[in-house]
Formats: sequence, C-alpha cells, structure tokens
Amino acid sequence: MNDYLSPLWISLKTVLVTTAITFVLGIAAARWMSRYTGKIKPIIDGIFILPLVLPPTVVGFGLLLFMGKHGWGGKFLALFNTSIVFSWPATVIAAAVMSFPLMYMTTKGAFEQVDTNIEDAARTLGAGEWRVLYSVTLPMAWPGVLAGTILSFARALGEFGATLMVAGNIPGRTTTIPVAIYFAIVDGNMKQANILMIIVLCIALASLALLAYLKKPKPRERGLIANPVPSDILHAGRKIDSPP
Amino acid sequence: MLKVEINRTLPGFKLDIAFSVNGEVLGILGPSGSGKTMTLLCIAGLLHPDSGFIQLNDRVLFDSTKKLNLPPKDRNVGFVFQNYALFPHLSAGKNIAYGIRNRSPEEVNRRVHVLIENMGLEGLQNRYPQQLSAGQQQRVAVARALAPEPDILLLDEPFSALDSLTKEQLEMQILDLRQFYKGHIILVTHDLAEAYRLSSRIAVYDAGKIAQYDLKEKLISSPVNQKVARITRFRNFMDGVITDIKDKQVWVTVPELGTNVKVAANGHKNLAINQSITIGVRSEHIQAVTAPGQNTLQGTLSSVVENLTSINCYFNLKTNKDSCYRIEAAFPRGAAPTLTDGLNYYLYLPPEQIVIITN
Repeated sequence: MNDYLSPLWISLKTVLVTTAITFVLGIAAARWMSRYTGKIKPIIDGIFILPLVLPPTVVGFGLLLFMGKHGWGGKFLALFNTSIVFSWPATVIAAAVMSFPLMYMTTKGAFEQVDTNIEDAARTLGAGEWRVLYSVTLPMAWPGVLAGTILSFARALGEFGATLMVAGNIPGRTTTIPVAIYFAIVDGNMKQANILMIIVLCIALASLALLAYLKKPKPRERGLIANPVPSDILHAGRKIDSPP
Repeated sequence: MLKVEINRTLPGFKLDIAFSVNGEVLGILGPSGSGKTMTLLCIAGLLHPDSGFIQLNDRVLFDSTKKLNLPPKDRNVGFVFQNYALFPHLSAGKNIAYGIRNRSPEEVNRRVHVLIENMGLEGLQNRYPQQLSAGQQQRVAVARALAPEPDILLLDEPFSALDSLTKEQLEMQILDLRQFYKGHIILVTHDLAEAYRLSSRIAVYDAGKIAQYDLKEKLISSPVNQKVARITRFRNFMDGVITDIKDKQVWVTVPELGTNVKVAANGHKNLAINQSITIGVRSEHIQAVTAPGQNTLQGTLSSVVENLTSINCYFNLKTNKDSCYRIEAAFPRGAAPTLTDGLNYYLYLPPEQIVIITN
C-alpha cells in the first residue's frame, strides 16, 4: 500500500515546492516585464513562454543537456560535488520550468491591467517599490495572480514528459503520479493506476473549486452606489450654517 | 518656494518651461497636449526630465547637472490625479491613511478623522471608492494627498469629470483648503474661468512653452500675444498701425476697415508711432449704439446665438478687400437691444477695453 501511495507524496512535495517557486519567480518576472520597455522585450518574453509551446520532452532533453555532466549547470553543480539529474530536485526543476509560463503570462496580464496612476499615487504617498507591489499591485491584480497560481499548480501536477527525461522513474524517489500511472499501465498494474487516477481527479476538482471560491466577487465589487447627491446637498447647507 | 526648470524632448514635442511658486495657488492653463500634466509628473518625480532643476522649499528634488533625482516617495509632493486613482481595494479611510507613516495607530486615526471632517466626508470612511460618487471620490483623493502633509499639492484637472453643480461645490472646497493647508498648490486646467476663480497666478501653456506667467488680473487685462489672448477669451482681433500717442491715448489705424480707433494704453510701455500691432476686444465689451461716432463701426447682423446669460451676435463688417470681417458681440440677456438679421447697426468699442498686443 505504501508503494501504491509513494507517488502521491512525491507529487505533493514536488508540486508544493514548484508552486512556491513559480509563484515568486512568476511574479518577479511579470513585474519586471510589465514595466520593461527595452528593445529586446519580445525576445525575453518569448524565452519565458517557450516551455509552453515546446514539446515537454524537448524541454526535458534541453534540461538534461544543461544539467548533465557536460552542461553548464551540471559543471556548476559539480563544483559542490552534487548532481541533480535523476534525483528528486530534478522533478521540481522540470515541473517549475514547465509551469512557469502559465504563472508568468497570467500574472503579467493582470499586472498590465492595473492603472499605473494608482501605483504612481502610492509612490507620491511615500511608498517604495516593495510597498507598491504588495499593497497596491498584488491586491489589485489578485484574481489574475490566483488564476496563474492554480493553473501552474495544475500544470506542475500533470507534468510528465520533461520529468521523465530529467528525473527518470526511480520508485520512491522520482516517480511522480503521472509517471507512476504510465508505468503502472505498462506493467498491467491496473489497481495502482486506478487509485492514482482517482486521487489526481480529486486534487484537480478541489483546486478548481478553490479557484471558484476565491475568485467569487465580494459584495462591495457589485457596484452598490448609494445615492450620493442628497448628502452632498445636505453637506453644502450645513457647511454654510457653521463655518469651520 | 517651488522653483522649476524642465526640459523634456519627445518626438514632435518639446517641453521647455521655468517658473516658481511661493505659497500661493498657481493655475496652469492651456489646451490638451501642451505639457501641463507632464510638468506635474516631473515635479512629483513620476517622469524624468531630460534636463533641468527642481527645488521645493530648501530641498533640491532634481538637478540634472548633479545627476540628482529624488524618487517620488521621498519628494513629499501631494498629487491628485485626473481620474483620482484611489485604491479600489481599500476603504476611503484606509485610502486617506495610506500615506501617513511613522505614527502610532491613534495618531493616524486622529489625522484621518481631521481630514475627513475638513473634506466633508463624515460617515463615508468605511465605503469603498466604487461606492462613492465622483465628487466624493475627488474629496477622498484630495484628503489622501494632504494626509502626509505635503509641501506642495498638485491637482491635475481635478474637476474635468464632474457635473457643473458638483464642480461648483468642489471649487468652494478647494478655496476652503487654504484655511488648513498652507503649502503651495498647482492646479492644472483647460478652463479659464476655473483657473481664474481658484488661483492667484496663471501660467498659460502653449505647445510646451509658457506663453505668459502673470497675476491673473494682469493676464486677463494684458495678454502678451494673440495665442494668450485667444485662450483668455478675446474674440475680436484687428491688425493695425499706431498713428499717434498722446496723454496715454493711442490712435490706431486699422487699414482693413479703413478706420481709426482710439485706445487707452493702460500701462503699456514701448509703444512707438508706425509700430504694427494687433488690437483685441472681448465680445462682451462691445456696445450697440444708435449713431456713428469715434470708435464706432458699422456692421450687418448675420447671426445670433442665445446663451444662458447672454446673447451672442455676429456682425459682418465691410472691408476694403473682397473679404468680410466678422465681429462677435455678447449682450447680457435682458439688456440686449432688439436686433434684426440683415440690418445695419453701429458698434462701439470702448477705448479702455481695447488691449494692444505688440507681437
């Protein structure tokens, strides 16, 4: 039984760490690119979105080359006497690279919708860039940021091709749910495939429900405008009666 | 004291201005795209001038020669945006409190309370911006800008999105501001009447330059050029030549109309005989008279436009060319003479109401 469920724990660990990483990196990249106006903007934009349009196995192969013994990343890691291909961190890297474009694109779109005057207003009121980000931009872009987070969470959970390329299928260490389901079916282990499929279905439905719940408009957003004119007139009258 | 010198070049536009304000309300008046808002953004640090110098009281905010550019958060400048730019996710009270830093919560509350009272926002502090009328939003925006006790308050077309009734009330409120806010105020507007009511000095912008910067009374009575005269609502212009100057009376020949006009040259210096000038008259200063005489022109009534408080009449004057010269006269309602289209009338231009524009 423990063997049946070990992909669940590995997947959960991978997905949570991945989502945390893409959340932070996605917001940072989106913030940077929504303000950046340089000439190479389309190129950087393209690089950030590339994993979304490439076949996952190609991305996985690229990561393998980069992080393998002869790649730059692998040589760098070798300085610290470590290697991460075919180990658990590789599942995180594969999932993070594959889910980053969704977080980045959705968040950037949401940031670009925020009126720059409102951010500028915060600056003239003494707010530094950090305070502008967490007290104005993020709250105003929250629905988009949240949608991006859930989409990248779902993408990380479903990650198969790139993970298999760089992390392989080492039961109990790198075998995530999608990889386990594939090999369970190949091995004819339908029971494990069924159990894992139901678990994935439950997680997916739960995250959709969470998204729907968190995005539900609060009452104040429904444009309740109290009739303001009478109070203005009353106010004007009172002001004349009692000079300040 | 605010000292501003700004240069900023964009494709097809160049902002090149310099002025200073001292504890008063400066109105920046000009058409759209003349660089008014850009000036405010540069003062607030939201826009980077190519070169220049900005000093607010004893602090230098920007100096291109020393590569000094204070970020907006350190400038202590209050900015009221044209669309108010309130934080939609914060209540009115929290919007106002946003800029109050380094104070205990009680002090923040007290300050917010004072501002809410001053701006007439009692009972609205828990509402969100979407639940406020445009006028209320504008008052929250002003209160929010004043909360950190800025050295200067910049108002960017604060009344452009309001109906005339609300606008009048809010103008009163801005005038009342002076009772509790002692800093400098700059008001950007394209409405002459609004600038005149609210400010003591007016800078007229034209295509990125200051065409005239004067006390408002001076601006209205002696525009320096025809652009300014048009912006300050002079409607009738005639090109002429000075033929005689004596006893503060200037005689001007208008060749086109073949007539001599007497002008009271109030405070005008540097006028010379044979100098080419333009004279300007406001439409409301033209009077209809029954007989010909000095400063009287004969014209045919061509059309009439009725306004709320005045009746505007357009007269065609004969010229010595084939063209036709048109004069606009505005008579107050009630005191307007009975006029018929197509008939000839005598129009009197009072000498003391004619301005001389030298360039």
